[in-house]
Amino acid sequence: MLAYILRRLLWTPVLLSLAAFFVFIMGMCAPGDPAELRLGNRATPERIERERERLGLDDPIPVRYVRYVNGVLKGDFGDSYHYQGKPVLEIIAPRLWVSMQLNIAALIVAVLVGLPLGFYAAKRQGTGRDPAIVISMLILYAMPVFFTAPFLILFFAVKLHWVPAAGWGGFFSLQIILPALTIGIPGAAIFVRFMRASTLDVIGQEYVRTAHAKGMSNFVVNYRHVARNALLPVLTIMGFTLAGMFGGSLIVELIYGIPGAGRLSLDAIFQRDFPVLTAFVLLGAAMLVFANLIIDIAYTIVDPRIRLQ
Amino acid sequence: MKNSQTFDPPEEMEPKLKDVPAARGHWRNIWANFRRRRLAFISLILVAFIYLLGIFAPVIQTHDYQETNLRRTQQGPSTENWFGTDRAGRDLYTRVVWGIQTTVIITVTSFATGSLLLGVTIGLVAGYFRGWVDAVIMRVGEVVSAFPDILLIILLAATLRPRIVEFARSVEDSTGMSGLVSSGIVDYVVIGIALLPLSWFGMMRLVRGQVLVLREAEYVEAARAMGTSTPRILFRHILPNVVSPIIVSVSFGIGAIALSEVVLSFFGLGVQPPRPSLGVMIGEVTARGGASVSVLRDHPEQLLAPIIVVWLLIFCWNIVGDALNDVLNPRAR
Amino acid sequence: MRRTFFGMALGLALIAAVACSGDSASPTEASAPPTSTPPAARATRPAIAPALQSKDDAAPSSDGSGPMSGGAFNTLWSDPPTMDPHLVTDGTSYGIVIEVFSGLVRLGSNPSNPFEPDLAESWSISDGGKVYEFKLRKDLTFSNGDPVTAQDFKWSLERAAHPDTASTVAEEFLGDIVGIQDIVDGNATSAEGIEVVDEQTLRLTIDAPKAYFIAKLTYPTAFVLNKNNVESLGRNWTDEPVSTGPFTLKEYRIGQRIRLARNDNFWDRVAYLDEVVFNLAGGVSMAMYENDEIDITSVGLADLERVQDPTEELNKDLVEVPPNFAVSYVGFNINKAPFDDANFRQALNHSVDKQLIADQVFSNLVKPAYGIIPPGFPGFSAEIQGLEFDPQLAKDLLAQSAYADVGSRPRIVLTVPGTGGSPGLTTEVVADMWRQNLGIEIEIQQVEWATYIQDLHRGRLQAWSGLSWQADYPDPQTFIDVLFRSNSAINYGGYANTQVDDYVVSAQTEQDATKRVQYYNDAEQIVVSEAAWLPLWWGVDSKALVKPWVKDYQFSSLTIAKLKDVWLDK
Repeated sequence: MLAYILRRLLWTPVLLSLAAFFVFIMGMCAPGDPAELRLGNRATPERIERERERLGLDDPIPVRYVRYVNGVLKGDFGDSYHYQGKPVLEIIAPRLWVSMQLNIAALIVAVLVGLPLGFYAAKRQGTGRDPAIVISMLILYAMPVFFTAPFLILFFAVKLHWVPAAGWGGFFSLQIILPALTIGIPGAAIFVRFMRASTLDVIGQEYVRTAHAKGMSNFVVNYRHVARNALLPVLTIMGFTLAGMFGGSLIVELIYGIPGAGRLSLDAIFQRDFPVLTAFVLLGAAMLVFANLIIDIAYTIVDPRIRLQ
Repeated sequence: MKNSQTFDPPEEMEPKLKDVPAARGHWRNIWANFRRRRLAFISLILVAFIYLLGIFAPVIQTHDYQETNLRRTQQGPSTENWFGTDRAGRDLYTRVVWGIQTTVIITVTSFATGSLLLGVTIGLVAGYFRGWVDAVIMRVGEVVSAFPDILLIILLAATLRPRIVEFARSVEDSTGMSGLVSSGIVDYVVIGIALLPLSWFGMMRLVRGQVLVLREAEYVEAARAMGTSTPRILFRHILPNVVSPIIVSVSFGIGAIALSEVVLSFFGLGVQPPRPSLGVMIGEVTARGGASVSVLRDHPEQLLAPIIVVWLLIFCWNIVGDALNDVLNPRAR
Repeated sequence: MRRTFFGMALGLALIAAVACSGDSASPTEASAPPTSTPPAARATRPAIAPALQSKDDAAPSSDGSGPMSGGAFNTLWSDPPTMDPHLVTDGTSYGIVIEVFSGLVRLGSNPSNPFEPDLAESWSISDGGKVYEFKLRKDLTFSNGDPVTAQDFKWSLERAAHPDTASTVAEEFLGDIVGIQDIVDGNATSAEGIEVVDEQTLRLTIDAPKAYFIAKLTYPTAFVLNKNNVESLGRNWTDEPVSTGPFTLKEYRIGQRIRLARNDNFWDRVAYLDEVVFNLAGGVSMAMYENDEIDITSVGLADLERVQDPTEELNKDLVEVPPNFAVSYVGFNINKAPFDDANFRQALNHSVDKQLIADQVFSNLVKPAYGIIPPGFPGFSAEIQGLEFDPQLAKDLLAQSAYADVGSRPRIVLTVPGTGGSPGLTTEVVADMWRQNLGIEIEIQQVEWATYIQDLHRGRLQAWSGLSWQADYPDPQTFIDVLFRSNSAINYGGYANTQVDDYVVSAQTEQDATKRVQYYNDAEQIVVSEAAWLPLWWGVDSKALVKPWVKDYQFSSLTIAKLKDVWLDK
């Protein structure tokens, strides 16, 4: 057990440096010369040469890779091309924070809508309401963001003037409502699905039947036994969902004008701002790797029956 | 919760140990079971219908997809233009059916190569050989899947496209072939490659999990004892027993692949104009998002025509996948 | 355009790929399509053409009551790549920086003498045009109350050139000053060409008489900074900059907003507005305008019909934005087949019905261009014979060309800068007109901006679209000479005609204004007749919405500090 965790921990840096290498190679293959990109379209060859020297672009690739990794280890991902010499980390950090807030808000929407509905659907299995809920959630799930986002803006902002149409004002602002709904509702569909399945499982368990047989009130059985136990497996999914949301809110950020990580990375791709992009992809990869690691370890602690090898 | 996500099929489906090859009656049973689910059955027919529209686009088109008609721009639906026309006076219906064709091609090629060929084969190998082969494959997979996927796809498409297009041009020029680039084949290759990381790992993990269990099954051990060659064991004895989960996984994944193509083309990184794609249409009409509200208000048909197709595809494939999951893996929930 | 070089006086700036409003997206904001670009951002693109429009283009003034102080003005913007004036190379940064910082001279709206004194009260030129002596205004102070002296200017100019500052344009704009080049090269820290005569007098010596030198000083690279401020805060000094412009930076939250507050220490009349809020969201500008989140927005194609409908509420807010002096075009590489054949190029020109496209696709938001120099611009001539739409003539010309036969015609690839979205309706419609009228099939290829620019420079593109050229200063030289002289660096198509070269070279030294213009017109006529380009549109983006309470907002093609005159009536 301990050996496993240790092995995973040792493996993580290898995984990340492989990822870094991959990203680095991608950067090398990308069209466009960074020095020329920085200087714009009127630069003379001499100035480009000087800039290449300054950026160390003429060094052999292994040297550049080592320099890159060295910098990364010290938290220095280089300077942005587009944002005129700003350290990459300074640009990325606030964007990541925005995306995180947005996704947490979306998760809250998804949980608040998804879990009760899923539970309700399971309890009403066999009636028409169960499939009605499942199917309508699936319809919402399948709805492309390209439609949802403008529709919500048109209806709630332009027509009703309830909320601002776009922009970012922080977690506790009206602006977050529409984007959170846009991401959260399809998310809710996922939770409905898992919560429903999980609840059905629990309802079938013996101890629930026993509880009923003992004459416990419906309410108590529902909430103390069924809902609580059904939640456990759903919680683990929540972890995955959060980790997976990274970079996923791209189009939502684009349409609502939210300065999140998704939009930043998209801009970086189009602006060929490779320092930003590589740092971003690396950080994303690191977050996913650690999330997986923690989930795996948590599993073994929560459920001793699972033995990892 | 992200753009490319579908309902994931259950991670570990218990493989049913049955003898090979699958009895024909077994599949007939499954089909009967499936047909009994009305919604799923209708969804399947709908999907088939949409795909047929795409496949027969050259036949059922009412106009040429790149033909502009500047005397009839921004028209609403009419008998002449069933879904109306866009700003350049091009027929929306025609462009939608051609866009579906693009979706069909992308879906099929990307599944055939990424998911099925690569994913299944590697999954079989990893699960069967275990040990260091398995470890290496799993680690590589982890590296690839460690990247946020839609971003990785965009990144790949953006960096690979110029190289691949250049290569295709040189091939065309040196062989005298034509139309490699203009017909969109190159675009399909670019998108196919960009989607690879999304498609192979999930399938590979699924197959590997199944194989890990199956390889201990008695009939496989028997085959091994009889000296059957490894490829034969893999493909004749083990593969048929993994088909069900593969089918379920594919049906869930198709929606995600289709959506990824839409997103790529939306950003101008997928299919190149003048060839239509649903994503190109959405990107064009909304000016990449900024005009989406205005278009939805003033000319909703221009936005809705491509979007409804995408919507239907994702919805229907999920319903079908659900039903298949129930039918093929009755014990798993 | 990204990192657009602000090439005033040297020639032309290559303007963003906004060939046409609602056309291909500007690479500057990969996420912001033209419809969401604020009109002001347009105006801030490197343009130094004079604002020839009348002053009251903006919202009409109400009941004659004078300007009122107070209030906040909201506008949409996108994140500036930098807030350090010495690093500015792009329009997005420029538009904000110019409201906050300032320098010796600034651009004004008088075309005959566009350079107005700013922090310098006056200047004199001596030694055959090599020595500039600037007299600073009395009692100048920074926004924090520190005095502004000639010493500050010396320090600022040297700081801009220093390699540690990493400015990509310092060499370009300040390199004429004696000694600056040494600083740029890292061989010196002080330039002998910058002399502090006394507290209020600054003397600049340049290496040769260059009439355009004064123009370069209007660029932010030459703006004055506060030494203490910059040195004490190090790299992050732009978070709390001390400045000399009409506004000061109050708050900058990346991706959210930039707030500017009135600079009470401004040397001239202080601004009316308490605050300017640049909303950095990007998103859906029209919806935000209608929801009162911003006070001004440009009108994109998708909204044009609606705002032009007189029964619409919004129609009352509609104002005309003076056209910028730009021309968008399809470029041909004269060195690559089939564009080496003039007949072929002319055929392509004659087969495109620009008027129809302008009417039907762009709702007349664009004006078809039949020449190069835009109307209203010095040197514009109505006499230029353009290649009008004439499909029969086009067919004949094609038949006469070396590429009449499809088999002999090489592949034609038209490249557009694709930073996402469509290659632009113009391109697709034009391509289809070629197809329908001539049977010429082309491939449209989107490449991302970096590759596009690189290939353009190296003459690798066969034909390209999605670009427009905007005037840097009011002189026809900015169009004809820079774009079509055979040895000009930005003659991307490699167009070469000895007659044209003769004309533009003669014009360079010609003293007689009429004769000079005639030279340019003659050259232009040749360029047009030989179809070096397919000119598409002049002046784009001519509609905007301004809330009725916004007064004295002056649209201008110039990048000038315009917000200090704006006031709110509400």
